[in-house]
Amino acid sequence: MRCCARRGEWLPVPDLATFQLAFASAIPRRTRRGAFERQPGFAVYRNTAATALIDSLRGAYPVTAEIIGDDGFDALALVFARVHPPASPVLLDYGAGFASFLAAQPWTSELPYLAGVAELERLATEAHLAADAPALAIGDFAGLGMNGLMALRLPLHPAARFTWLRNPAMTIWLAHRAPGGFEELAPDWRAEGGLITRPVDAVAACLIAAPAHRLLSGLRLGESVGQAARAVADIYPETDFPDLFAFLVNRGAFAKPPSLERI
Amino acid sequence: MAPTAGLGFKPIHFEEALAAPAAGLWFEVHPENYMIEGGPRLAMLEALRSARPLSLHGVGLSLAGAQTPDRAHLLRLKRLNDRFEPFLLSEHLAWSRSEDRYFPDLLPFPRTTEALLRIGRNIDTTQTLLGRQILIENPSLYVALYGHEWSETDFLRQLVKRTGCRLLIDVNNIVVSANNLGFDPYSYVDALPFDAIGEIHLAGHRADPGQGDSLLIDSHDAPVSEGVWALYDYLIALAGPIPTLIERDGNLPEFAELMRERDRADAMLRTPRRMAACA
Repeated sequence: MRCCARRGEWLPVPDLATFQLAFASAIPRRTRRGAFERQPGFAVYRNTAATALIDSLRGAYPVTAEIIGDDGFDALALVFARVHPPASPVLLDYGAGFASFLAAQPWTSELPYLAGVAELERLATEAHLAADAPALAIGDFAGLGMNGLMALRLPLHPAARFTWLRNPAMTIWLAHRAPGGFEELAPDWRAEGGLITRPVDAVAACLIAAPAHRLLSGLRLGESVGQAARAVADIYPETDFPDLFAFLVNRGAFAKPPSLERI
Repeated sequence: MAPTAGLGFKPIHFEEALAAPAAGLWFEVHPENYMIEGGPRLAMLEALRSARPLSLHGVGLSLAGAQTPDRAHLLRLKRLNDRFEPFLLSEHLAWSRSEDRYFPDLLPFPRTTEALLRIGRNIDTTQTLLGRQILIENPSLYVALYGHEWSETDFLRQLVKRTGCRLLIDVNNIVVSANNLGFDPYSYVDALPFDAIGEIHLAGHRADPGQGDSLLIDSHDAPVSEGVWALYDYLIALAGPIPTLIERDGNLPEFAELMRERDRADAMLRTPRRMAACA
């Protein structure tokens, strides 16, 4: 092993891999005792790594941060970053799993909608970064006739995301996102759904009710439009299906399927 | 074409960047910020690229690590390189990956011959897969490591010789490292292989809040300091005009203020210099 002289001692020079392991394991520790930590400059590496991850989570979860407060959010983000270090240098996509991390914290039982808000923010990030594809428009299936439409299997648009929440997290998230802010928020305490799409160039979000959620879930699983429509009619007989379907199409929820290109 | 000055691109300046009339203006981005499937971010880069030359400045390849570059990451970089055809593509002489964990930072290493061989291989792998030459940037250093067998300038020179890569010289990093580790920044510049320099970076730094001026941080959140401008002037007097970038990431001012720094660098590149003319 090669050695080098330092203050009269002979210390081994580690190979690159060993050096990296020692340096990397010193970053999350908070001591000043190790070989690297004795120098004040080592704190720069510690702070840079921590700050980059906190900033990236703050950017991805702005409403969650607003609800918790900046100091509390930063402390939580630091713990999350220690447990879930990034597995890729692409930080735009960092922070998957933050919602379930929040849900597991005992104190969030006082803020039951918090994990839901974080889940919605993650879905919005995914929608923002997702692939481009032409969205299905009403005119695209005009020539199909009712039978043709009912037999159709529709792919969701790559940027479309939806979820069902056990509390009004969607209403709360939308209120925080509204440009003018909100005065006071007293949502009905009931389950609700959220749909996030990217109809033109920007991410858009809206509330959905149970029939829309059933329809989207069915189509995502591969049901035809007809199968999903019958299920919706059975469970929610008061639903105006053509109206609901047109609403989802106009939100940009579906991609134009290849089978429609030929019509 | 004569080398000109460019600016690190920030999405909040998109409209102004697109409309800027400056001759020779080019932009640089971190490819990691565009390694996504689609959407408005990529569309914005597409519009910028159709208006101006683009440079990609990577932060995620971890070339100064013992592991070979992450193939998935290399392929993402290749996709962007093929799509946007940047005129420069650079990475750092630093590492950010240890086993499966990434650190969003540029970490140091002892410059041993073993490290030189590994890093040379990593650069080879990268250039082969991308099918192009890359530039390697000198790091900002904050701690003194023992075990160095090469000076940084000799190490860079060796990488150029062994891999055919070129260099991105960050003048602010020289000033920051020289201050933190106690060496002479002008002697460092004297020892550079000038012919191998393909790009120069200029950025701002600040003193560590706890340690003061004895510890400078490469923070990219302040204007380029006069000390950095002076060393830049010295470098281009020796090396001749080289494409130069103003980097700013934090504490962002108006676009016009960044353009004033960019124009200052651009004017310096166009100033005739005796030494460069004789070279």
